[in-house]
Amino acid sequence: MSKIKYLLLLSRQGKVRLIRWYRSYDQREKALILREITTTVLSRKPRMCNILEYQDHKIVYKRYASLFFICGISPEDNELLTLEIIHRFVESMDRYFGNVCELDIIFNFSRAYNILDELIMCDGAFVESSKTSILTSMAIMDSVESNDSLEKVLS
Amino acid sequence: MTSIYTPTADEVKQRLRPFGLFFEKSLKDLIKGIRSHSKTPEQLCDFLTNVLSECREEVKNSDFNLKTNAILKLIYLEMYGFDMSWANFHVLEVMSSNKFQHKRVGYLAASQSFHKDSDILMLATNLLKKDLKYNVNNDTVRIGIALSGLSTIVTPELAHDICEDLFLMLSSSKPYIRKKAVTALFKVFLQYPEALRDNFDNFISRLEDDDLSVVSATVSVICELSKHNPHPFVQLSPILYQMLIKVDNNWVIIRLLKLFTNLSQVEPKLRVKILPNVLELMDSTSAISVVYESINCIVKGNMLESDDYDTAVACLDKLHDFCTSNDPNLRYISCALFYKIGKINTDFISNFDSLIIKLLQDVDVSIRSKTLELLEGIIDDDNIIDVVQILLKQLVDVDKIKIYEQEFNIEIPDTYKSKMIHTICKITAMNNYANIGDFKWYCILLFDLCVVSQDIHDKTLDPKLGEQIRNLMIKVPDMRIQTMDQIVKLMGKCDLIKQLPGVLKESLWSIGEYSSLLDDSKDFMHLLIQNTKYYNSAVQQIALPAILKIYSNWCNQSGGFDLEEVKTMTQELIVFMEFFITSKEFEVQERASEEFEFLRLCLDSLNEENCDSLPLLISEVLPSFFKLFELQPIIGGTQRKLQSNVDMDWNKPFLTEQELEEMMVVEDTYEDTPSEDNSENENEEFQSGIDANYDIAYKYESNMTTEEQEAIQERRRQERVENPFYLQDEEDPVKQQQSLLELSDRNASESKTSIVKLSTNSKLKGKRRKFKVRVISDAIIVGGSQDQEESSEHSERQSLSSSTHNVITLQTKNKLGSFDFSRLEDYKKESEAKGDIQKLRDKFARLELEGQRAEEPVEEVIVIKKKKKKSSKKSKDPSKIKKKKDSTNFDLN
Repeated sequence: MSKIKYLLLLSRQGKVRLIRWYRSYDQREKALILREITTTVLSRKPRMCNILEYQDHKIVYKRYASLFFICGISPEDNELLTLEIIHRFVESMDRYFGNVCELDIIFNFSRAYNILDELIMCDGAFVESSKTSILTSMAIMDSVESNDSLEKVLS
Repeated sequence: MTSIYTPTADEVKQRLRPFGLFFEKSLKDLIKGIRSHSKTPEQLCDFLTNVLSECREEVKNSDFNLKTNAILKLIYLEMYGFDMSWANFHVLEVMSSNKFQHKRVGYLAASQSFHKDSDILMLATNLLKKDLKYNVNNDTVRIGIALSGLSTIVTPELAHDICEDLFLMLSSSKPYIRKKAVTALFKVFLQYPEALRDNFDNFISRLEDDDLSVVSATVSVICELSKHNPHPFVQLSPILYQMLIKVDNNWVIIRLLKLFTNLSQVEPKLRVKILPNVLELMDSTSAISVVYESINCIVKGNMLESDDYDTAVACLDKLHDFCTSNDPNLRYISCALFYKIGKINTDFISNFDSLIIKLLQDVDVSIRSKTLELLEGIIDDDNIIDVVQILLKQLVDVDKIKIYEQEFNIEIPDTYKSKMIHTICKITAMNNYANIGDFKWYCILLFDLCVVSQDIHDKTLDPKLGEQIRNLMIKVPDMRIQTMDQIVKLMGKCDLIKQLPGVLKESLWSIGEYSSLLDDSKDFMHLLIQNTKYYNSAVQQIALPAILKIYSNWCNQSGGFDLEEVKTMTQELIVFMEFFITSKEFEVQERASEEFEFLRLCLDSLNEENCDSLPLLISEVLPSFFKLFELQPIIGGTQRKLQSNVDMDWNKPFLTEQELEEMMVVEDTYEDTPSEDNSENENEEFQSGIDANYDIAYKYESNMTTEEQEAIQERRRQERVENPFYLQDEEDPVKQQQSLLELSDRNASESKTSIVKLSTNSKLKGKRRKFKVRVISDAIIVGGSQDQEESSEHSERQSLSSSTHNVITLQTKNKLGSFDFSRLEDYKKESEAKGDIQKLRDKFARLELEGQRAEEPVEEVIVIKKKKKKSSKKSKDPSKIKKKKDSTNFDLN
């Protein structure tokens, strides 16, 4: 299965929109990876393939509208599947937010992370393949949360 | 009218807070603020530091809403590169809140920032235990979120404490919980493998769960675990095999294929059973990622044997479709797979040359670059010229390509260019030039590449090209004249050659070594005298001997030489060498001083000599420095091989006493003979300089009877056989030495070939060559074929070790890889050993106490001494046991 080292969302201007490290990197490594990936991925031409080799692993990226979804995966992983996972993530967010755009992700980034956590679990080793179950559990969590705040106001 | 009680602004804020209204910056304000302040970087920086200091205050607030909000802001700011680990404690507070909203944010923050902070992990352990124990039916989501959190922050202690709860959750009525528990167990197993061994069946039973998502998660966990240690899962193959046939969910199938890849690496028997199914799957499925994974499974799971052409063809057919597809990703991954299949047997891919040549001209440079690695497999003497031509055309900055009548400009990066040149060097020189039909073309190609590579900023290129030129010079004797011409031409282009020090170095060496082929040695020496001081020191140290070699050849080339001319040249060279004696570089200095002194001697003898001929020093001694043996290529790694065989007795003197005496006698006679003939004497002296030992013995031998000589030879031979620094061969090494120096009646050719076993067989088929060219293959000394294996093995080992090193630094530690599941008894032993350690410790502690008590009245110094002894003993003993434990562990693995 796909073992994801990190996942990040970059805007076309190179701003980080979401970032999740599934391995422990120290601050300097993180900054280096971020900087190098930003320059290489943003400079890729549209006709180029979505896979590139970086350091000792591979990077799989895909552009959706103004956002680049970038995954670092280990060399033996299935690149096509990683693209599929990225696509699932985008689809789930699209369903959840309803026609998702960059602003949705910026303002509700914690929700986006929650969706990601439902989709990719445990260091990127597992993926829930069913969109519906992701959305259901998101809905349950949201309702629990709103119940909580309702109780809070009433008390 | 004002009321008596006017609430302050702070009080109003306090009162409104329970309603979810607060007046500190919300996340929205922060994001909007960033947007409105991002006109200049300074402005943004000011704003962000401002917000950050606000957050620092807010997290300390006792109100949880405020705290949570601040944490949320910090998570957002972390994406801008602001470290938030300082707030870890506050994150923990938020996590412990009863409100789900807070908890959710808390766990999110934890998974973003708790990675290496061990203190906070310890605190989090307790919290997680609490959260996971909280097992009321309607709290599915809470447990779910705690389980997700657990999977990011599990520690060995936590794993140990928590695994029972997790196993209970495996039988929960909710698939959601079961799924999450299975997932979290993965991390637990990594830290605490005993849990898996003790509950193996319970865990494995989840493979038969009613809910597909649970099954899928279980398969994933097993798949990931099998990456670390596949052995315990081999027994599951029948169940997994059934699943592979029954399941139609592609996600699960891909995971199963990955799992089988791992399993069949340790259990080759699986191949027979699985392979037909994988092949069938590959044919029947419509999902490309499944096809890709099937091929991956076959290739990486060692299911493709090097003579299994049917399977290879089945895989390659699919790959062929990928290659011709419009999707660049498919083209890219197919290249990678082609490479792996080609590695198993290059014959598999040799038919795909036209396809690969097409990929070389792909729109995507990264695909081209990947394809370069494939060239090795498809290149032969028919297509090499075409391929190289295609590649050379790409050595431009912008390549134009037409696809569907549309023209594309593709920028070619330098990294690709240098990789390409490296590849060209590799494929042309491969298998001792097996692919080269036309060496003239190759020679010109090399020098063209030199010209091209000056614009590419890659330090590894010019040494590589230099190496190729040197190899061509040594290995292909028939091409030497032409290569020499090219080198001389190249040397003429001063500004070009200066940018390619690697080429320059090897060119100079070649010129020196084969200076007899040089037409205008004198001019060339003048050129070098002028230029050498501008070269870098690495080149200089090659240039100095090269000049001497040219000088040697020039002096001795044809008989009637103008002595005056030689004299002036010698003088010029002396001046030249003198300049380098003061070089900063030790190596240059050394060589310059040697040559300087020698040339001075030459000049002396030139001045003394009154006859017409050159002095012996120049005509005999100087060439003997370089011409005694012809240099032959020797296979790489020989030196190491010879060194590894060294078995030296350091106490044994180099010379036996008898030998020493002999030497003394020789020296005496040598000093006693009055030297009338100056030059001859010098000659002797220098000969002795070359090989003192031999020379003396040689002189001595000539005075002996043949029996004595033979006796000495026999003894010496014996010694050499024992001495590892002599090359051993089936032929007697003494014989060779003698025949070469003495020119005895022994068959010269026989002994010459035997010095190193040179196989000059050019195994290349002459009929294909336009010019019949002899290529000298690398000589093999002492079991050379083994040696090559060894060297490659060595490098492999190196790369392997480096890769494992990477793995270690990248991955969080886990104990699973080295854990053995099958042997419970050994585990018991181990725990017994642990118990023993504890007992020992207790015992020592007791002893220590008693000792202290007993020695209390004695002086303090002694007590300390005793204590030290004991403590050292104490520390020693457990370590011993530990070692023992380790070794048993090792045995298990």
